[in-house]
Amino acid sequence: MKVKKKTAMLVSFTLGTLLLATTALADIVTKSGYDQLKDALKVTAEQSSDKFDSFTMDFSIAMKDNGTTLGTINEIHKYDRSKSASENISSRERINGDNDSSQTYSDKTTYIRVSESDPTYYVTEYPQERKEEAFSNPFKEDGADDIEKIADAVVGSLKDHVVVTENSDGSKGLVGSLTEVQIPSLVNAVASFQMKQEFNGRQDDLPHLTKDVFVKEVKGTAKVNKDGVLESILGSAVLSGKDEQGTVHEISVEALFKISDINATKVRKPDLTGKKVVKDTAREYGSEITNPEKFVGKFKNDILLEKDDKFVKVGEQIMEISHFDNQTLTGQYYEVYKPGFEEYANSERNFKFNAKKSDQKNSSEFEYTTESGSKRSIYVDGHSGQVYLNGVSMSRGNLILDSSFRPDLE
Amino acid sequence: MAVFQAALVNEIEKLYKKKKALVAVLLSLAVIVIGQLAIVGVRSGFGLRGAGSVEFPMLVLSVVVNTVLPLFTALVTIDSFSGEYSQNSMRITLTRPVSRFKIFTAKITAIVLFILAMLLLLLIFSMVVGFMFNTNSATWDSLGRTVFSYLVSLLPMAVLALGIVLLANLFKSGISVFFISILAFIVFKVLGVLFSQYSSLFMTTQLDWYNLFLVNSFPLGKIMRQFMIMLGSGIMLFTAGFYLFDKKEF
Repeated sequence: MKVKKKTAMLVSFTLGTLLLATTALADIVTKSGYDQLKDALKVTAEQSSDKFDSFTMDFSIAMKDNGTTLGTINEIHKYDRSKSASENISSRERINGDNDSSQTYSDKTTYIRVSESDPTYYVTEYPQERKEEAFSNPFKEDGADDIEKIADAVVGSLKDHVVVTENSDGSKGLVGSLTEVQIPSLVNAVASFQMKQEFNGRQDDLPHLTKDVFVKEVKGTAKVNKDGVLESILGSAVLSGKDEQGTVHEISVEALFKISDINATKVRKPDLTGKKVVKDTAREYGSEITNPEKFVGKFKNDILLEKDDKFVKVGEQIMEISHFDNQTLTGQYYEVYKPGFEEYANSERNFKFNAKKSDQKNSSEFEYTTESGSKRSIYVDGHSGQVYLNGVSMSRGNLILDSSFRPDLE
Repeated sequence: MAVFQAALVNEIEKLYKKKKALVAVLLSLAVIVIGQLAIVGVRSGFGLRGAGSVEFPMLVLSVVVNTVLPLFTALVTIDSFSGEYSQNSMRITLTRPVSRFKIFTAKITAIVLFILAMLLLLLIFSMVVGFMFNTNSATWDSLGRTVFSYLVSLLPMAVLALGIVLLANLFKSGISVFFISILAFIVFKVLGVLFSQYSSLFMTTQLDWYNLFLVNSFPLGKIMRQFMIMLGSGIMLFTAGFYLFDKKEF
């Protein structure tokens, strides 16, 4: 009897362990529909930014209130990675008649934009070739991993709502739907609170939802081709709520995303012959100022004083830049007062500076240390032709000083 | 069988006579009342619907399944084992002509029945409250899923109870069992979030497995796997727990 009991216990313990181990292993290996969707997104982003020479992305959203269309947005993005060129066509329609469509074209040396409301072609030319990628992989950006972890935790038990059907040609279809019982109450509350802010009555063409707002349904379908690339994804959500009169509104939002014409998309530069064209040259690109010599010289602004309810000019703040080459910036700052206002002069605000480019990337900030040892910076804005002096205490009594300086061309 | 029945009735009566069962019932009702007040607050304060008549029981379930239920399951389980060890009342139980296996099984059955009673009570009260105070959103489908969700929550809760039984037989003092259980619960919860791909292995994630029964497509494969994992760990924990119980000297 004693032996039998021991054997029974041993057998049942082993059985339990085996059962647990095998199913646990199977469970880890089995990818949920959510994971497969995530994989497809990653593959698509990677292929689009590394492998495909060209592709077209379509994106459209439609919003309806109880069946009446409130607005639509359509966007077509064409990318040609081999030429670093891209073309965007976007159009939006709203129920209040506020429609617009626009088109942009961009390659290494030009950027062209035109819109329906203003049929002028604005052309910007870049003297230096731009190094921008036509399409960058969002999963490779900083913090993408953390966002993915957070998304996984939020999705949590909803992962199993995505159902995968595999077709014989290797492509896959993914379907998911959630109705109000399946959406966790907290998620529903946060989402509907967010959405309620959108329908706050400030936009005259959107209904104003005040009561009983909730997410009624979320649905989605996706198609993944045999290479694992997401071809299309269609999502829709229904938000229900009452307005002040107690009328129930069911607002549905549908979004469609498609990738097509992989390696067969042609990006065309718009034909500008016979069109009204406004041309300009990009003065600089990035933080490097193309011709830094232009910043050597005298920069100034007026010192004002508030007196008898009027502004009176009492002098000038002057910055003399003796050397500037995108790496170092040297010069002097001083103030000149008009006769009768000399008492405002202050020796603290009369100094020389020898500033070096800050370590931050893509910044046109130049840092220097004052004689007293405090760190200050000067910012050079090549676009507006101004220099900003940061960190100097500017206001003193009724005296009005400014930190931005423009070139003195007189 | 008659011996087992007698042992079971004995265990249930002990459980029923304790104040803990009453406190558990009162606390569960408090959760329902507080939950409903929160929903009313959200509704009038933020203009959100909060929860409809069917969502309310689901909201209550999602809260209690991670708080009140495991807590009282632990308390009742510890009482039934560690409590009787320390009071030496276990000796009285064992002097009866009942095998240790039957006593062990009767104790566990009583605990499972307690969990079931709690779940049913929560289901009925949250449904009544849900229908009384919230806009009606019920369909037969969602109603059926709600009832089913409550019933299937019994299984992971029973596995949890078996886990605590094992701890109660491993450690002497009921207090240390209680704290170890709570600590393990929190650790598993955190691990489930950090390693979400392995989360289905943790006992604490299995407490939420009722969600699988809400999925429209009824993911049979996933449900079966989860069921097997729970069954496997249940058998293991039961055997290990009984082994220790059988060896114990009183």
